[in-house]
Amino acid sequence: MKIRIIAGLSALAAAAALTSCSSGSSSDEGDGPRRITVWIMKDSVTDDFLARFTKDFEKDHPGLDLDIQIQEWNGIGEKVTAALAGNDAPDVIEVGNTQVAQYAASGGVKDLSDKVAELKGSDWLPGLAEPGRIDGKQFGIPWYAANRVVIYHKDHFAKAGVKELPKTRDEWIEVTEKLNSDTVQGIYLPGQNWYTLAGFVWEDGGDLAVHTQGPWKGSLHTPEALRGMKFYKELQALGKGPRDSDEAEPPQAEVFAKGDVAQMIAVPGGAKIIEQANPGLAGKLGFFPVPGNTAGKPGATFTGGSDLIVPEASAHQDAAYQVIAALAGDTWQRDMARTMSYVPNRTSLASVIQDNEGTAAMAAAAAHGRATPNSPQWAAVEAANPIKEYMTAVLTGQDMAKAARKASEDITKTLNS
Amino acid sequence: MSRGMSRGVSRTARRRLPLNAGAALVFVLSAFPVYWMILTAFKPTPEIQAETPVFWPSSLTLEHFATAARADGFAQFWRNSLLVTLTCVVLALVVALGAAYAVARMRWKGRRAFVLMVFVAQVAPWEALLIPMYVIARDTGMLDRLPTLTLIYFMITLPFTVVTLRSFLTGIPVELEEAARVDGCTRSQAFRRVTFPLLAPGLVATSLFGFITAWNEFAFANMLIIKNQDDRTLPVWLSSFSNVFGTDWGATMAASTLFALPVLLLFLVLQHRVAAGMAGGAVKG
Amino acid sequence: MNRPASAAGARPGPPGDGPARGRLGLRGLRNLWPYLLIAPTVVGAVLLLGYPLVRNLLMSVQEYGMGELIRGDAPFVGLANYWEILSDPELWEVVHRTLWWTGLNVLLIMVLGTLVALMLERLGRVMRIVVTSGLVLAWASPVIATTTVFQWLFASRLGVVNWALTRLGFASFENFSWTANGRAAFVVLLLLVVWQSVPFVAITLHAALLTVPAELHESARLDGAGAWRIFRSVTLPILRPVFGLVLCLEIIWVFRCFVQIWAVTGGGPDRATTTLPVHAYRIAQSLHRYDLGAAVSTLTVLLLLAVLIPYLRRMLRQEAEE
Repeated sequence: MKIRIIAGLSALAAAAALTSCSSGSSSDEGDGPRRITVWIMKDSVTDDFLARFTKDFEKDHPGLDLDIQIQEWNGIGEKVTAALAGNDAPDVIEVGNTQVAQYAASGGVKDLSDKVAELKGSDWLPGLAEPGRIDGKQFGIPWYAANRVVIYHKDHFAKAGVKELPKTRDEWIEVTEKLNSDTVQGIYLPGQNWYTLAGFVWEDGGDLAVHTQGPWKGSLHTPEALRGMKFYKELQALGKGPRDSDEAEPPQAEVFAKGDVAQMIAVPGGAKIIEQANPGLAGKLGFFPVPGNTAGKPGATFTGGSDLIVPEASAHQDAAYQVIAALAGDTWQRDMARTMSYVPNRTSLASVIQDNEGTAAMAAAAAHGRATPNSPQWAAVEAANPIKEYMTAVLTGQDMAKAARKASEDITKTLNS
Repeated sequence: MSRGMSRGVSRTARRRLPLNAGAALVFVLSAFPVYWMILTAFKPTPEIQAETPVFWPSSLTLEHFATAARADGFAQFWRNSLLVTLTCVVLALVVALGAAYAVARMRWKGRRAFVLMVFVAQVAPWEALLIPMYVIARDTGMLDRLPTLTLIYFMITLPFTVVTLRSFLTGIPVELEEAARVDGCTRSQAFRRVTFPLLAPGLVATSLFGFITAWNEFAFANMLIIKNQDDRTLPVWLSSFSNVFGTDWGATMAASTLFALPVLLLFLVLQHRVAAGMAGGAVKG
Repeated sequence: MNRPASAAGARPGPPGDGPARGRLGLRGLRNLWPYLLIAPTVVGAVLLLGYPLVRNLLMSVQEYGMGELIRGDAPFVGLANYWEILSDPELWEVVHRTLWWTGLNVLLIMVLGTLVALMLERLGRVMRIVVTSGLVLAWASPVIATTTVFQWLFASRLGVVNWALTRLGFASFENFSWTANGRAAFVVLLLLVVWQSVPFVAITLHAALLTVPAELHESARLDGAGAWRIFRSVTLPILRPVFGLVLCLEIIWVFRCFVQIWAVTGGGPDRATTTLPVHAYRIAQSLHRYDLGAAVSTLTVLLLLAVLIPYLRRMLRQEAEE
């Protein structure tokens, strides 16, 4: 008995020691400026843009001190979850538009519905605003969007004698075949660039998943979706893109920067990263919308982008809103659209990007921009992405219909779990 | 006489040929990936991504190490990792030493149950404890602090440390201690003066396991250090090398080499003691 | 769990060989010494492992997702989570695969480890040091670093393995994608884990071999025993305890192996490399079904303990004899 009591007491003592360590943390409410922590994803915006924004914001809000933390992609889901569930969360977090729904649904994000009018939310891009809205409440505030376009190397086009930019898929394949040689890759398309595949699938009338009434159903095995994959395979073979990895590994901009690639599919901002890695390519990069089936209109593409959220656990929610209001407001939207070649969060601001070759190509395609299936569970599909595995399976010669059916089943299961 | 000896040597050499060939194969297979890592770290960039792999570079460069060391935060994260790892290792050693001594040298009620508990503790599903641990840390205000990581790593390494130390202790003849006590030492004096010096190498060797485990840990470090970015550890920062250095394999491998270096060095010096201790204890036990 | 503290509380322990010449001659305190020595371990284990395990168990009988994690209140659902995972045919595939994975790995590791240990014993001094250094390099390299290197060695383009295989005449390995095919991905992981684990086994067994008295070999040889006989009747019995311990540790480590699999294949392609720990992690962290993840991890522990029971029983018997 005695020993049990002693053991119990020492356990209690240790527990007390543990908890006593916790007191005295995070009391920055003193005289100094309040510290506002903002999480921005790596490569979302340039360091220079953030520096300008921070300086300007702190000038306008003397009591606030901005601490911008750049987040790595690896393990970010766990980290955002940990932040939302914590006691002392960052005040503003950037989350991808395919991810925002699950966080909004979790109850850990502040409802900003009353600010929508103030932020002129009536003409927000639907691809960003809708995933951030659950049951009529706005949790995620649209920040920026970007469509994928084709970035090409003008020298290689000239050398191969390509006079006119392709307008249809057939022309595109023809041109790329002409470009592809022993020394030049016609196109660098990694096997798992599933955003690009999604565009092809939509262009052919298919979809990743559908739900009419009731549960979601993966639909990669439909004839339309299979046509999209077939085209992807045909295109992918006209270069040396690895069949078993995506555009981030290795970073495709850096591959392009080596100079022997004629085309790649990326957001227009990718051109900036290419030029940064290889200044010799400045001025040699061109853009055109991803060609569709018909010459009249460009192909459907995936609209990627980000929303901004304020965690319920943030200690400075009002100040956090000030940051969002500034980032999502006209001034910085224009600035960002220009420096990053992004589509601004409101359609009425689109005129800003008309004078730039890259963003013009994007704006042309933006009309056919699509988003991933609007389900809070979609993020879970991406987390262990069956679409990527399907693509690699097909590209390495496995049976397309069979692999597609398997991927569809996987998506169905995850979306309904 | 010299002729006879040389003939003897050559005959043994011939007999030993398959054996040595096997040994060479084992050496090449086990060392190659590490060699490749270190080699790449020193290779000039053009020879790294070559269509024909370059196994012996034309020249060596320190440029990649410079790139790795210049990367933002390298020193800070290195320091954090070292701090957490060393504290955890020392803590585990001190705590485990007591337990190992009690098990190896004393008879008491509940000893069997204790040994079983320690052994079974190695089965703990640490990846699955991520969420419960997070909830507990949150509710006790221990999130975002390096000491939390230290405590968790301590617990991850403790069971193995107890088992191994106990093996080492068992390997040291108890008669030595008894002799010292006959000479008038107290039990603790006997331990300090006789057993401890013999155990010291074993302590260092055992701690290496703890060191490797804590040095590598990613999942807890990623989820429990949230807002205090300066408290991140090396694995979190290096988790995706391609994020940090892009396609720069030279810098990636240089960073990997720097990451592996402390462990490699310690291990090369001390490995035979680890094995001897484990084996000695288990044979006796 | 039969915690030692409570077991001891039931009845005062027998007079052990406490600190015979301790300054405090009190018999009670003397008997307390072992308990004081293990107290930090027990307290640590209860607070830092026992309590989280209880919370994990609790979670497995609750409805616990991202919302519950954030809001804090989780309703009890009884054994519903266990029914859900047990009725999922995928779980049984994963269990099956995990047993295969563990068995195959451990078999390879133990056989190769033993062979290398026997080889080390017969090598000359220089060669032995060379080989041991090589083994130690593989053993001690941090997992993150070696996993990165392995991924690169097995890269489809410009990977050294594909280059070497193509050179050796296997043209089909040109640009072969190791992670695209379930079986190939399994092989890569197998090689990685075996490569990392053999050194520990080899070096430990070699150290144990050194404790075999040379006279035993000598006398066995004089009796006319062949190499295999000597191995079986002299070496093996002495090696057995170490062998048992190492085998047991390897089973635990390989069964629980997570980081390597997650980093190299993420459990893919098409779940072909998803073992139980990966499965639990995927459910918990990707689907945010922490409740199901907890249930899977509970089953994992039970399964692993079941595998280890023969050894645990033997260990307990041994402890009793001591």
